[in-house]
Amino acid sequence: MKSRALIGYLAIAGLLAGCGVFRGGEEGGGTTGGSAAPAAPGVTKEPCPMAVDKAKGCIYLGTISDLTQGPFAALAVPITEAQKAFWARVNKAGGIGGKYEVDVQAYVRDNKYNPETHRQVYNEIKDKVLGLAQTLGSPTTAAIIDDLKASSIVSAPASWTSAWEFEDVIIETGSNYCVESMNAVDYAMEVYKPKSIMAVHLAGDYGADAAAGAKVAAEKNGVAFTAIETPPGATEQGRAITEIVKNKPDVVIITTGPADAAAVIGQAAAAGFKGRFIGTGPTWNPALLKSPAAPAIKALYEQSSPGKPFGADTAGHKAMREALPGVSPNDGYTSGWAWSYPMKAALEKMVAGGDVSRKGLLAAVKSLATVDYEGMLPPEAGNFAGDANAATFRQTLINKVDEGAPTGVSIVKDFFTGPTAQGYTMDGPCFQKL
Amino acid sequence: MTDLRQTPAIPTGRSRRPRGRPLLYTSYAQDMALLDTPAKRVWTLVLIVLAFLLSAVLQDRSLEVLAGAYALAIGAIGLNLVAGYAGQISLGHAFFVAIGAYTAAALSGPPDGRNLGFGLAEIWIWLPAAGLVAAAAGVLVAPLAARLRGLYLAVVTLGLVFLGEHVFKEWDHLTGGPGVGRQAAVPELFGTRLDQDGLLGTREQSLYLVMLVLLIVFALAARNLARSRVGRAFAAIRDRDIAAEVIGVPLTRYKVLAFGASSFYAGIAGGLLYTITGFVEPGSFSLLLSVQFIAMVLIGGVATVSGSIMGALFIVLIQPLTRSLPALVPVISSDTTATPNVFQVETVLYGLLIILFLVFEPRGLYGIWIRVRTYWKSWPFSY
Amino acid sequence: MTGFIESVLRGLGNGSVYALLALGFVIIYKATKVISFAQPSLMLAGAVAVSYLAELTGFYLAVPLAALLIAGLALGIERVAIRPMVGRPVFVVAIITLGIDVVVRVVVNGFIGRDVRQMGDPWGFEQVSLGPLVVQERWLAMLGVTAVLVALLFAFFRFTRYGLAMRAAAYDQETALAQGVSVGAVFALSWGLAGFLAAIAGMFVGTGQGVEQLTWIIALKALPAIILGGLDSLGGAVVGGLTIGVVESLFQSYQGDVAPWLGQNFAVVSPYVVMLLVLLVRPYGLFGTREVERV
Repeated sequence: MKSRALIGYLAIAGLLAGCGVFRGGEEGGGTTGGSAAPAAPGVTKEPCPMAVDKAKGCIYLGTISDLTQGPFAALAVPITEAQKAFWARVNKAGGIGGKYEVDVQAYVRDNKYNPETHRQVYNEIKDKVLGLAQTLGSPTTAAIIDDLKASSIVSAPASWTSAWEFEDVIIETGSNYCVESMNAVDYAMEVYKPKSIMAVHLAGDYGADAAAGAKVAAEKNGVAFTAIETPPGATEQGRAITEIVKNKPDVVIITTGPADAAAVIGQAAAAGFKGRFIGTGPTWNPALLKSPAAPAIKALYEQSSPGKPFGADTAGHKAMREALPGVSPNDGYTSGWAWSYPMKAALEKMVAGGDVSRKGLLAAVKSLATVDYEGMLPPEAGNFAGDANAATFRQTLINKVDEGAPTGVSIVKDFFTGPTAQGYTMDGPCFQKL
Repeated sequence: MTDLRQTPAIPTGRSRRPRGRPLLYTSYAQDMALLDTPAKRVWTLVLIVLAFLLSAVLQDRSLEVLAGAYALAIGAIGLNLVAGYAGQISLGHAFFVAIGAYTAAALSGPPDGRNLGFGLAEIWIWLPAAGLVAAAAGVLVAPLAARLRGLYLAVVTLGLVFLGEHVFKEWDHLTGGPGVGRQAAVPELFGTRLDQDGLLGTREQSLYLVMLVLLIVFALAARNLARSRVGRAFAAIRDRDIAAEVIGVPLTRYKVLAFGASSFYAGIAGGLLYTITGFVEPGSFSLLLSVQFIAMVLIGGVATVSGSIMGALFIVLIQPLTRSLPALVPVISSDTTATPNVFQVETVLYGLLIILFLVFEPRGLYGIWIRVRTYWKSWPFSY
Repeated sequence: MTGFIESVLRGLGNGSVYALLALGFVIIYKATKVISFAQPSLMLAGAVAVSYLAELTGFYLAVPLAALLIAGLALGIERVAIRPMVGRPVFVVAIITLGIDVVVRVVVNGFIGRDVRQMGDPWGFEQVSLGPLVVQERWLAMLGVTAVLVALLFAFFRFTRYGLAMRAAAYDQETALAQGVSVGAVFALSWGLAGFLAAIAGMFVGTGQGVEQLTWIIALKALPAIILGGLDSLGGAVVGGLTIGVVESLFQSYQGDVAPWLGQNFAVVSPYVVMLLVLLVRPYGLFGTREVERV
């Protein structure tokens, strides 16, 4: 009995050691480098597991996203898919600086949109990646931001909250929710000349950020403004509908989930509301055109967006559509693809500069004044060099509902900066000011 | 370990038990001892020493996971006090955890920050305060809860979680609001930050040690409570509340006490848990957290302190396990667009493991332990 | 005043959905003494099944087909995961139903995918005028269908052999067994009925705005409804569901003006507040059976 138990314990200890649970073994270097000494965490001289050219080294990027049961799974899956396709294309085109290829598939983790889980999976992969190709969600990323800063791990966020303008290690692409709704209000002022504006929004970093922007713009334009916070859930929109129908604002800036938006717009219109709706952020989903709210949406709705829709005619969009054959169009793909350009530019600059490490990558990011988005966004959207106020990108566009377009929307006003966003000083996350 | 053999409570002559008869009690004090057999004493000591040694052996990320499990274990012990010992199933545990977390965060937060803060970062101030405020909330709720039984009580306490979630989401000066959150409590002991690299080793090592020490303290306290007059009253209420009342146990008073003690533990757990991530967000305190605590208690074993700890470790550790298992089966795609993919399998596995465990071992991990012990006790006879 | 009545009607519409869900909870509770937390996933599965079947067979055929399909799913779940647990502590079984909920939902989410799925229902957001009142058609449909289903259900319990068997088993399992009632069949039937009702409720939840991955949360509204009505009262479930719906709707319409200090969106938690208030007066809900206390 004793010896059998002893063998058992040894086996367990061996297993744990094999899994790399014990101290010592992996610390310092931190990669599964093997014989060749690794240059930096997440960088190997060996080729990537799915390398195109076996002579090149490999840079590993992690992905932490909401892949199964969290509230953003429906967006996160296409985002992740698009990033995979993006880096596969980069590798096929010769990789980074002719020396490295990029792998975003070895370290993909599901955060279930839970900050604690996010941090756990981050700890599991952080020694094996150079940076994060995607860290989804604001509360989840907030749970690791201190560690990201301490370890200089450059990360691309999958959310457009204005708080990211204030973090060096976070490379956000496109305007934040706050700027977006400032522009949406300015656009409405120009086209519809409203006297009152209402923001219908979810709470927190997403909805409140947008509502704060709308408030700033409404005050600047001198029109009446009310904000109605609404809970998520299509059957919970009774209050929002009541308030809209009762107060009859000329323009409603709506920042919710797609089904919530359909419920609000459809029922408000059915109750006789004739004002305009402008949706911001990921409020839109092409499936809304199949819903009973479709007539109301076609009549009253426009969609503000930080980037051009899936079917747009730019080199970047074309490349994306070619790299993702047969997918049902969704702007999650567009976002995931566009978000990857700054990371690519930073990696190229880092490899060209010679310092292939986290510090080198962060330095490269800080010196980026423009990024080539292949036309998806203006190059100056990729400005990470200046302070938060100078680096904040302030151009967004407005889409109209268009049944012929792949994602149901087409551009009605191309990239523009409204006067409010132009004059606004970014001195703190917007949602604190609502 | 406290050894009560010397206490002259009920003199019954020779208090040494004969060798090889661990279950023969020759004195009342022996029967009531905190750890009543020599084997328990030895093994508890060995386990504690081993747990301390782990801090020098394991990787930082594993230590962080374990530290979280220990904090949750304190909460699970608390739930076991009210649900296991006193038989009042509460689904409202997450609410009390939240109260503890926000009390601690507000007390230790910077006074001039964006959120409510009082700048008292010393752990010996905010930790007891977190427990006491949560306990006060528990005592406030208890009179209503004392009128209800079984599933009524469970759903009503569930209502607490929803009400609490609403309040915490609206009160953004305290909580930062949903999706935004705030900085959690900062553990500081006499001016030394315990969540930074320092005397006790790395940040994770020191946090691990803090959680371990506190878990031992609170586990012993709970076991002590359970073997006392109060614990016996709890058990009497659980087994047959009317009979308990007839033999002179004041029902309401002890139910209030059970809720208070349980909420105290929940508050402590809440205060500690979020020091690890350093960040707390009101969305965390949902039904899911309450259910996790219930699962810990059921999986560990009802009305056992060691079971609660095992249950907490089980629930926390199967998450990394379910993450690594699907990767071993090459058939399952890691492609997020395919169905089934590893992430779906991982989520399903988590649910399935809990179902299978409860279907095959309804008495929990503690039940497995009892079976193993009985097997060896009667070896070589099978029963 | 018309605003008030319209708000009440909206509440009755949503409330009848809660009532259907609550009936499922109560039927399972009466048979097995367990609250099944798997109801949200069954509701979601029902809605998704309707959305797929409606494309093939049209909406009116899709609804009964989907309801039968989900009833079958519920039967399967009961046979595999619940039947082995007969006689085990109810909370262990309740946690098992939670596990089932997670598993079923992950699978169903795979079918929902990225888009909001539509039911293909004929109502949409269309409105009809009843004198001075303007009401959405779907609320009337919800109310009407629920009324019919409830009537059928009560007739089933009152006049059929199986209904009698279910009542007997709910009253006293052992005696029922001794009289030759197959309690196993009663368990299965109760899960099947609950699945059927959940699927219909899911379909109604999806009318208008469609169904997405987060829709399952709505099913939890039935919990305060069953406690309000009394856990073991079918009539209580209906009354509780309608009450919760109306209260919620009135809070949505008027709380912002009358009591803004409660914070925005107090309507979300108003069902729980009502539940707590009722329980202060009646610890077993409005129609629940008082437990006879014997030592």
